[in-house]
Amino acid sequence: MSAEMAIEVEGLHKSFGHAHALRGLDLSAPAGEVTGFLGPNGSGKTTTIRVLLGLLRSDSGRVTVLGGDPWTEAVRLHKDMAYVPGDVTLWPNLTGGEAIDILCRISGPLDAKRKATMLERFELDPTKKARAYSKGNRQKVALVAALASQAPLLLLDEPTSGLDPIMEAAFTESIREVKAEGRSVLLSSHIFTEVEKLADRVAIIREGVTVEAGTLAELRHLTRTQVTAALDGGPDGLARLPGVHDLTTNDGHVTFAVDDDQLAGVLGAVSRLNPRSLVANPPSLEELFLRHYGDELAAVNNGSQK
Amino acid sequence: MTTNVQGAAPRNRTTPTTSAPTLHRPPADGLAGLAAMTRLVIRRNRIRLLVWFVVIVGLFAYVGAYYKGMFTTQKALDDFAALSNTPGIKALTGLAAAPATLGGAVWTKIWMTCALTLALGVVFLVTRNGRADEEVGRTELLRSRVLGQHAYSAASWLVFAGLCVAVGLFVAVSSAGLGLDPAGGGAMGSWVVGASVTGVGLVALGIGAVAGQVASTSRGANALGSIVVVGFYVVRLVGDLGNGALTWASPIGWGQEMAPWGANRWWPFGLLVLLAAGLLGVAWSLEARRDYGAGLVPDRTGKADSLASYAHPLGLAARLQRGPIIGWTIAIVLTALMLGSVVNQMSNLLKDAGTSTSAILRGTGIDALLGLMAGLVALIVTIFAIQSATQLRADEATGIIEPQLAGAVSRKRWVLQRLAIPTIGAAVLLALGGWVMGAVYGSTVKDASQGFRIAGATLAYFPAVMVLVGVAILLFGFVPRLTIPVTWGVVAGLWLIMLIGDALHLPTWVLKVLPFSATPDLPAQAMRWSPLIVMTLVASAMIWVGLQRFADRDIQPG
Repeated sequence: MSAEMAIEVEGLHKSFGHAHALRGLDLSAPAGEVTGFLGPNGSGKTTTIRVLLGLLRSDSGRVTVLGGDPWTEAVRLHKDMAYVPGDVTLWPNLTGGEAIDILCRISGPLDAKRKATMLERFELDPTKKARAYSKGNRQKVALVAALASQAPLLLLDEPTSGLDPIMEAAFTESIREVKAEGRSVLLSSHIFTEVEKLADRVAIIREGVTVEAGTLAELRHLTRTQVTAALDGGPDGLARLPGVHDLTTNDGHVTFAVDDDQLAGVLGAVSRLNPRSLVANPPSLEELFLRHYGDELAAVNNGSQK
Repeated sequence: MTTNVQGAAPRNRTTPTTSAPTLHRPPADGLAGLAAMTRLVIRRNRIRLLVWFVVIVGLFAYVGAYYKGMFTTQKALDDFAALSNTPGIKALTGLAAAPATLGGAVWTKIWMTCALTLALGVVFLVTRNGRADEEVGRTELLRSRVLGQHAYSAASWLVFAGLCVAVGLFVAVSSAGLGLDPAGGGAMGSWVVGASVTGVGLVALGIGAVAGQVASTSRGANALGSIVVVGFYVVRLVGDLGNGALTWASPIGWGQEMAPWGANRWWPFGLLVLLAAGLLGVAWSLEARRDYGAGLVPDRTGKADSLASYAHPLGLAARLQRGPIIGWTIAIVLTALMLGSVVNQMSNLLKDAGTSTSAILRGTGIDALLGLMAGLVALIVTIFAIQSATQLRADEATGIIEPQLAGAVSRKRWVLQRLAIPTIGAAVLLALGGWVMGAVYGSTVKDASQGFRIAGATLAYFPAVMVLVGVAILLFGFVPRLTIPVTWGVVAGLWLIMLIGDALHLPTWVLKVLPFSATPDLPAQAMRWSPLIVMTLVASAMIWVGLQRFADRDIQPG
């Protein structure tokens, strides 16, 4: 176990009765970085985070959090961890301010100044009873409690669900601060732009297995660049070049995808066709994601055509 | 589950509200969708309805058949009536109007249990389909459809009123069928006994409906409703032991005063139905006025910061359970005050009656009565302790346990600190209840030592209470999802066995080994330490094993 890894998971299995939730999941989150954790609903993100918190015990596999075993050393490790659940439940008869203090103090001393800063940033009224809060405001309570702590590791399970765009911006700012302080974050989400903005590394999981993991740059290498060119003379044989896929022509605009290792040769061919304009986009995280769930997407499309 | 509900009625109707944008909705609108809601309530509760029905009617029929076989001569009935004529029986179950008849004997044994079971059952059912659904937002989904404001509530009232009628009807039918009525006298007594159970159930329906409008949480509604029902039970208890005037202050007393196989009165049934209708009317008008999701007391703002002590499981639990702790303390002090003052009346009655009554009570009557009342206080304390202990599972079920365990708190520390509340609370409340009861009684007989004497008698029940807490923690460790229903089932089962155990053909050793019967019946009996030590060990073992298992298992929300 290297000290540079905040989270290291290898071959994690977890079943609930007959339901096999995690089937050999791998995940590593380097210290001081933000690791995005992507997957569709029900793919095992929350189960993984609960294992990392020692709330669930793994059936098999190796799980290390901050150099310790999350099941047997939960108490010691939790002093250095802060958690935002995806679905925040609070004590209905306590105020949001009281809940924040309680959550902070269970893990360590309360930093009243940070709490005040975060309350202001997220525009949360701490004197209201939790039962009067909307979903977004309950989410803010958990976020403020996590961000007010100095914990070296933050586990965030879809932390921005229910937040408006202004609050999402406040969240983004806060995570950048956390990263600048050298703390580590595991950010589970299915909002691609958020992960793209914040994450250094990404792990994509599906049905309890990691299907892709690495830095964003590494992942983009595995995939294709989207090119659109205005070619008055038509595509003229571009489709036959190695590495070109899904070529379509529409009103003089030719659009296609290129494997990254063939990009130089293909662009050379395009330039010989005298393009009036050329746009090349690196693949977005969303495209990466959709590539791995393409068959499900196809099934959805087929279903809607019926 | 939703197939027969979502379609049908609401969508097929035209929306009446579109035509007249008046401030007051037409009355008929309040019930739009009633038929569909009635089907939903029946579908959601069919198992529960069946269980309550079978348990109550079954209890009555079982005791009826058992006594029918046992009391074959008038002499046997006379003996039973004489044996039943004790303060203890009068207090716990009431004495039948005609105790020396077969129907009367059955009434003395089981009527109060049936009536109370139905009353509490109806309160819980009304809350489950009323305030509980509103609290979690299910009612919001329903009301977003073309559904009258009162349709869902009214549907549940209809269904549970139907349960009360069905229970009463089948009590009457089984009574007549078993031949509990005197030969040649017709089945009037059977009909009266059935109607009296129905009447008490209907009043409880009204109580539950109002409680669901007043309280803003399902826990609050259940607590309020059952406290009122139990309060009426205590009021009639005091009335039955005294001159009977207070019996008339309680709807349960009205049910008793219908006097089946005695005066066979029908008019108290009219009173019960009127009170039930009145209470439902109050609930209806409250529902028409208040906002969705609100109770009668509006939410206030609170402190922006918490005390540092809330960061410990014990401090937090003490804060969260502050309301119930205060409520139970008041309930126990009031009960002890009432019980203590009744003992006074009984001792005066004994003096007036002279030797004959003393002979029946064999000179230990007062102590036997005090012992019985100590047991009653212990039962109330048990309910408090179980409510507090099962809160551990409730925290897990709602998921609020996760942020707590995500803090630097070990599971064992979390459980043990939380258990301090039922443990210390039970000891303090037992001592307090016993002391108040003894002091009130002592003040009437000029004996200042009675307070501590009776406090000792109630404290003897502490190991028994802790055995039940142990059951809760054992279940919490091994079968968390069953913790709450099974623990309450065990408490209810113990209570039932204490009441009618002799009629259940259970071996004597089983009856003797149960926590409450194993506790020495102070001050009537001599103190025995061995059962208390054994129960303490059993309770500690169950808590320890349950705790080990909880520390070693997955957290299971929902």
